[in-house]
Amino acid sequence: MLRISPLLSHSVRQAARLSTASATSSTVNAEEIALFSRLSSQWWNEKGEFGLLHKMNPVRMQFVREKILEVSRDEDEHAAAKLDSTSKILNGLDVLDVGCGGGILSESLARLGARTLGIDASSSNIGIASVHASKDPSLPPSSLTYRNVTAEQLLEEDQRFDVVCSMEVIEHVDNPARFLHSCAELVKPGGHLFLSTIARTPLSYLLTIFAAEHVLRLVSPGTHTHSKFVNPSELLDFFTKSPQAWISRLYGGSPSRHQAEIRGLVYLPWKGSWVLAPRGAWGATECNYVFWARKPMDLQ
Amino acid sequence: MVMRPSTRLQLFKRVRRIPTSRSSHLGRNVYSTVGASEDYDVVIIGGGPAGLAFASALAASSVVNSSLRIALVEAGNLDRIRRWSQQNNGYSNRVSSITNDSKRFLTDIGGWQNIDESRTWPMEDMQVWDGISDSRIVFSASEIDDLVNPYMEKHFATRPPQLAQLTENLNLQRSLLLNLDRHQVVEILDNTTVRSIESEAQVDDSIGGGWPILHTSTGRKLRARLLVGADGPNSPVRKYARIESYGWAYDTRAIVATLFHAPRLEGLQKPNSTAYQRFLPTGPIAFLPLSPTTSSLVWSTKPPLASALSTPPNNGSGATTSPPSPGADPEILKLMINAAFRLPEISVRYLHDLILESHSGENKLTASQLAEEIKWRERSHGIDQNSAFSCFSSTEGIPPVDAEALPPLVTGIQTGTPASFPLRMSHADTYVGNDTRTVLIGDAAHTIHPLAGQGLNMGIADAEALADTIASAVAVGSDIGSRTALLPYSRSRYFENHKLLSVTDKLHKLYASTLPPVVWARSVGLEVVNELDSVKAALMFSAGASSIRKDMEPGAKASHAAATAFEIGNGVVNAVGLLSRSALGLARAGLAGLANSSGAIRKD
Repeated sequence: MLRISPLLSHSVRQAARLSTASATSSTVNAEEIALFSRLSSQWWNEKGEFGLLHKMNPVRMQFVREKILEVSRDEDEHAAAKLDSTSKILNGLDVLDVGCGGGILSESLARLGARTLGIDASSSNIGIASVHASKDPSLPPSSLTYRNVTAEQLLEEDQRFDVVCSMEVIEHVDNPARFLHSCAELVKPGGHLFLSTIARTPLSYLLTIFAAEHVLRLVSPGTHTHSKFVNPSELLDFFTKSPQAWISRLYGGSPSRHQAEIRGLVYLPWKGSWVLAPRGAWGATECNYVFWARKPMDLQ
Repeated sequence: MVMRPSTRLQLFKRVRRIPTSRSSHLGRNVYSTVGASEDYDVVIIGGGPAGLAFASALAASSVVNSSLRIALVEAGNLDRIRRWSQQNNGYSNRVSSITNDSKRFLTDIGGWQNIDESRTWPMEDMQVWDGISDSRIVFSASEIDDLVNPYMEKHFATRPPQLAQLTENLNLQRSLLLNLDRHQVVEILDNTTVRSIESEAQVDDSIGGGWPILHTSTGRKLRARLLVGADGPNSPVRKYARIESYGWAYDTRAIVATLFHAPRLEGLQKPNSTAYQRFLPTGPIAFLPLSPTTSSLVWSTKPPLASALSTPPNNGSGATTSPPSPGADPEILKLMINAAFRLPEISVRYLHDLILESHSGENKLTASQLAEEIKWRERSHGIDQNSAFSCFSSTEGIPPVDAEALPPLVTGIQTGTPASFPLRMSHADTYVGNDTRTVLIGDAAHTIHPLAGQGLNMGIADAEALADTIASAVAVGSDIGSRTALLPYSRSRYFENHKLLSVTDKLHKLYASTLPPVVWARSVGLEVVNELDSVKAALMFSAGASSIRKDMEPGAKASHAAATAFEIGNGVVNAVGLLSRSALGLARAGLAGLANSSGAIRKD
């Protein structure tokens, strides 16, 4: 109980922060950037600090693939079937990876045919990501580039993207509402936004901080701050309200699958792998989850 | 004098090579900076059944074939396999039982469509018995059918009529190769040996290990995102990846040969579709049907006997310095095969000793002397000349009642087919190299005793699992050379293979024992299992006879659990054997004394 009461007060504060977008120019947290810069040499060690993230990557990419195919199926079933039989389902699309870190997600996006831009506020991350990609002949600069800029800076450059991804990032930024707003603005009308993060629940404290950081030491202590976690309902709430009213209405707390979707990501320790929980699986979004929303065509 | 310039050139070359070797000592790779290398996503080393099946599976996947550049490197000449045909209705001596599971996968990837079905033969029943106690287990395809029928009908329009399909390895390899030729996705580099494999130098350790670079005998440099070792038991890829392999050599060699015999009587008997295996203490002898009048032999036995029975003729030419020898007499091999399936164990052992004596030069034995010896022993064991257990019963007329308990009498051996090879049990510590972009399949990952006929099927199952893993990794944009992308393959195969390896190994050891309590326990076990239809079905399931495993239903899962229970049971029986091993020597001495005394009686 001692633990839970501060959690509750945090969650109130957090919810308050999400509902009001402040006018800060950057959402980057200097301490977080310092932490990830220190860890940057670890990004491509699949057995190390980021091992769990490496294992999670194929599953969140599976979600990206499923949603892109699902939307394309709604529009043209024949074309979608053809797309499904190739690996290049993002062919010709401009894709942005916000908070790319060492480039784990960016590289996968580029391999699926996207013109990918990975951005990160840490210059050492960008350094590692660039060196790693340069070793892979399937990732030429025409398909994958990295820049050391923030989402807010990119917004000022007037660039817009077909797909914006920001995986495992929002729980590390200072002003999540402002950050979400920037990400949302970067999406072209009709484009996709993919997010993944951790829900602010007692279970997520137990798994991601108590177990993973302090007991098992799978990740460095201090990697996550529980109060910064974001609940699925808060994301849905953000995207039902102006100025980012992407979701027209909720049905019993859930959006229509054409507008947004939330799926749990569950780690199965006995299999050593993550799975994408089925739609609406009970309790699956209590910890890690992925979020997708599509920007309405008429929203600029 | 004329030679000088070239000598100087050679000297010059040698001098230039020195810095190369020195810098490789320093851990730097000179090759990666000299000359251009060609980038491939997948390089498969080895054109055996596992390598070809894996390549075919990749070629058949639309996600993979539209995005990956794939090469297969094979030292031998694959044209010889493409053009393979056997003369005079003969059969190759390397035959495998392709389980229904394997056949389903091969059909899915188009690898079965070019198979010469007329050269394959269904195995509908299997009879396995104990060489000492004669307790017997009978597996029948119709039995699994009855047991799993309730849901089998939902999956199949036609029932699987067979336990497995006996197929020459070359027939399968040719079919897979023709399938690859049709797809034109995999670049096949045959007549090409891999001179060396090196890891590309890395500027920075933090971005992971370098890509492997292969130097081929044709002077090419292949840089591989993923290097697949399908390169057999002595896998160079495994050595490159520094993966240790655990295991031991059996004191056993397997004799293979193609056998001729009279057809089973039409109408009175089942066609030649039963496989037979007798567990002798020296190792199992198996008879695998190939056609109404042809079958294949796999006889695991002690190395001296194997070489005495199957040494190929040597005409003294070539690199060998040994004098010309006519090789082992096929007549003797023929008599010994018939006797090994029929005579009581004590006489089989006595005949072994006779053959070994003859082979070492003393008491040269001719085929007719051996025939006389066998006839004498049959009389002394009270075996009726007209019963199926006689090696000389007539092959004409009405067959004896117990004829189907034994394979037909071998009447001849196809010239040139007898050969033998050593047996080993081994299992790589891991299938996925650590940061080396390597993965192992087939014999490179594991070798197994042939008694369960699972070696090739395990390789094919590896090929299927790895191809599936790669297709799903490509679909989500993973780097297929990375450890994370390959782990699902390891997870799906390692434990499966380990179970089969250890059960097979324990069966070999269990049946190598002649200790009465062990013989009693294993015989009772076998007889009990023979009566428990669901356990038998479970055994056939785990041997791949049913192809519905992928989406197994609850009933089948229960059977599978029963199979695991049986494995545990086996382990217990084996433990009993180990505990009583101290008494084993005593029992051996006793039985040997018995054999000697029976020999002495004969000599008197």
